Amino acid sequence: MIDITCLGSSSAGNAYRITDGHTALLLEAGFPYKSLQRSLEFRMSDIEGCLITHEHSDHSKAAKDVMKAGVNIYTSQGTADALKLSGYRLKVITAHGQFAIGTWTIKPFEIEHDAEEPLGFVLANQAGDKLVFLTDTYYCRYRFVGLTHIMVECNYSLDIINSRVAKGDLHPAQKKRLLRSHFGLEHVKGFLRANDISKVQEIWLLHLSDGNSDAARFKQEIQETTGKLVYVADR
Amino acid sequence: MSNANQLAMVKRDTVDIVADKVRQFQERGEIHFPANYSPENAMKSAWLILQNTQDKNYKPVLETCTRDSIANALLDMVVQGLNPSKKQGYFIAYGKSLAFQRSYFGTMTVTKDVTSAEDIDTQIIYEDDQFEFEIVRGRKRVTLHKSDFKNIDDEKIAGAYCTIYWPDDREYTEIMTIKEIRQSWKKSKQNPDKEGSTHNEFPGEMAKRTVINRTCKAYMNTSNDSSLIMKHFNRQDEFIAEAEVEAEIADNANGDIIDVTPDPVIKTSQDTDPNLQQEGPNQDVMDFSDDVPPMKKTSDGPDF
Repeated sequence: MIDITCLGSSSAGNAYRITDGHTALLLEAGFPYKSLQRSLEFRMSDIEGCLITHEHSDHSKAAKDVMKAGVNIYTSQGTADALKLSGYRLKVITAHGQFAIGTWTIKPFEIEHDAEEPLGFVLANQAGDKLVFLTDTYYCRYRFVGLTHIMVECNYSLDIINSRVAKGDLHPAQKKRLLRSHFGLEHVKGFLRANDISKVQEIWLLHLSDGNSDAARFKQEIQETTGKLVYVADR
Repeated sequence: MSNANQLAMVKRDTVDIVADKVRQFQERGEIHFPANYSPENAMKSAWLILQNTQDKNYKPVLETCTRDSIANALLDMVVQGLNPSKKQGYFIAYGKSLAFQRSYFGTMTVTKDVTSAEDIDTQIIYEDDQFEFEIVRGRKRVTLHKSDFKNIDDEKIAGAYCTIYWPDDREYTEIMTIKEIRQSWKKSKQNPDKEGSTHNEFPGEMAKRTVINRTCKAYMNTSNDSSLIMKHFNRQDEFIAEAEVEAEIADNANGDIIDVTPDPVIKTSQDTDPNLQQEGPNQDVMDFSDDVPPMKKTSDGPDF
């Protein structure tokens, strides 16, 4: 049984605590350390490892402080270099190189974002749960088997973007960047359709854009597409 | 297309619809073509070219692209007053979307039409050239450019500039350093850094093209013109960006299966004392299980 807690999910900061009842992990550390501590109710010592997808500060702000607090950071060399992380608390991981933290076995994979060496993660535990964590990527190269939990970015919808560009609320250059850096609703649906989601218990939609999304609509459309329990991560 | 009937149907759904639409624009006075431009002739040329245009898999675009995108590409061409037989633009397929991509000749043609400019000139600045410019009221003006025949060397390009001239002696200039030019090439999908790329083989011509595009677009966007032509002029970049992403995702997304199997011999941190672990030479580099501190199970702690 996996328990997911969202500590924040937007361009203002991203962090999630996941646990299978034995090992608690922090996914991302995109807040000032103090607010991270507060959201975790000062139980940082519970956390057995922190996975960071890429160096953008809304995903990595507290990385150094998390290490100082005695928690290992697992991230790519590219991200570590960009953030100037070093020391024995830094565990450099590579795409397709499987590793373990407590009861979790984790496999990182490449994602598509304008960062140095961004990664996504698929995590399995011994109870048979399997979770994919996929954020800040405009699509996913891979498919997964036997997923029970999906945490996926659902940043924008093209029709909302286009109407904002037409109104002059969004610069066309911002639209171009968004298309090549974030997961849009239409492509998230494509991803969910391409995967066997028969065992999926929960789908979490992460990192909704402030202006280019609509939480209620996204939730409803993903529910219609998948017939699954859908949560929109609190911003 | 396998038979003439099908081709006739595509023509009806695209060329004829666009021709009707253009007639409506003309009747409502939303568009005026230059005296020397015949939309009918441009459409005929386009139709001939389209029948021989293929996508990257060597399939005819009239078969693989959506009729909406074909019609929109034709409309973009006609509204801007361009003709593909004069190399003012090309039809390019991005997956199922067809786009009309203006060439720099096309960009110059539209700029002249819309702004009533007389001439658009461009020059390369070589390393040993004498080059001076001044900025008056925020506008650059080239005051001196002396070159020498022996300076001309594609490996010694220092920059390029382009000036738009009007009959009343106004002018508008943009200057780019080679660094800026190369930076803009990096955005190109044509792999400009590759050996033997067009950018590397003909840097002078490509630099001219880059500075012409920059100058014309910058001027057109500063001139306060929300006309139909400007809408189609600016649509190209946005549409192509969108179509490229769609095609890339269609090609690459959701491919190979990646899976993770929990290691059956994995030691949970509960039964591992990290201090007792020996780091053997055979240890998998990615195995960090030793690094994990023993989990404290306290009875009064919250149960997750």
